[in-house]
Amino acid sequence: MAASIDPLVVGRVIGDVLDMFIPTANMSVYFGPKHITNGCEIKPSTTLNPPKVNISGHSDELYTLVMTDPDAPSPSEPSLREWVHWIVVDIPGGTNPSKGKEILPYMEPKPPVGIHRYIFVLFRQNSPVGLMVQQPLSRANFSTRMFAGHLDLGLPVATVYFNAQKEPASRRR
Amino acid sequence: MAIPVSMAMAATPTDSASRVWSMSSLKSALPSPSSFRLPTSSSRRPVTLRLPISSPSLPSFSGLSPVNPLLSIGLPDWQSFENGFKIVDGGGRVYAMRHGRRVPKLNRPPDQRKALLRGLTTQLLKHGRIKTTRARASAMRKFVDKMITLAKDGSLHKRRQALGYIYEKQIVHALFAEVPDRYGERNGGYTRIIRTLPRRGDNAPMAYIELV
Repeated sequence: MAASIDPLVVGRVIGDVLDMFIPTANMSVYFGPKHITNGCEIKPSTTLNPPKVNISGHSDELYTLVMTDPDAPSPSEPSLREWVHWIVVDIPGGTNPSKGKEILPYMEPKPPVGIHRYIFVLFRQNSPVGLMVQQPLSRANFSTRMFAGHLDLGLPVATVYFNAQKEPASRRR
Repeated sequence: MAIPVSMAMAATPTDSASRVWSMSSLKSALPSPSSFRLPTSSSRRPVTLRLPISSPSLPSFSGLSPVNPLLSIGLPDWQSFENGFKIVDGGGRVYAMRHGRRVPKLNRPPDQRKALLRGLTTQLLKHGRIKTTRARASAMRKFVDKMITLAKDGSLHKRRQALGYIYEKQIVHALFAEVPDRYGERNGGYTRIIRTLPRRGDNAPMAYIELV
């Protein structure tokens, strides 16, 4: 009975973080052997290192990748929405973020309470951005919309998100 | 005891042609209430009838007291069993199938069911998003909405009612503090259920339930 079956709308990624967009690029994200699909459950222990991201497109296009968490510190009270984990700009198309400029170093997901959504957003740049943007003052209360507006990035071209929750301290039986 | 014997004795001459039993044959078989004639010796009845009833000889006013159907079977204006016996129930229909029953039982007796739903709503209000089976998620919607409605009202009585349901009092106080801002304009529908992949151990269909 959902009004839309797009998983980004059902999971309220479009709405909380992004506006409705039409995906025009392909992005595949891998944490180790695990491929990220919308809404899949990932353990934070597998996300210690930045994921492998493959971006489609021509090598003369530049892309920006942002990873945020809109449910910080808890989905019932997201007072620090959004918490930004990773910003990489000037990624040439068809490559991965190691070829781009890392504005904000990768921080691994550490959800304290509840199940958090972690969203990868890909924007296509109109022009090289390298010097225009500097590191945000704090990771908390980040706004992806305002960031995109500030750099004139427009609507995203690809998005994927996954869920993660705090792992129990002892090994689950 | 005595009456069926007389009925059998009297019925044999009448239904030699047909085996149908009718009220008239019964009435004729029973001793008529207006007379206390003892059976004569010519009919050779082995049992003498004693009428325990004395009221039929009175005039036929029976307005104030309800006519006992057992006593009124022999009265001339008695027609059927239906008016005498009043069936006292709650109006509840009992079907052999589950038609119209809307309470989800969750494979548990009622006390455990209530405890399960209390625990689930407490955890959802604490964490904001939890992952359970689809049946539990759709069963707990009603109770989460009830708790948020209590918090919207905000009075002391409602706070105590919420404290009686939710297991942790910090959660109740936090709920009453933030609900008016968060859900002030929203009328109902404070949760959302997102179906997800089945659980590995038993292939149970799972769902995320979250506060909108």
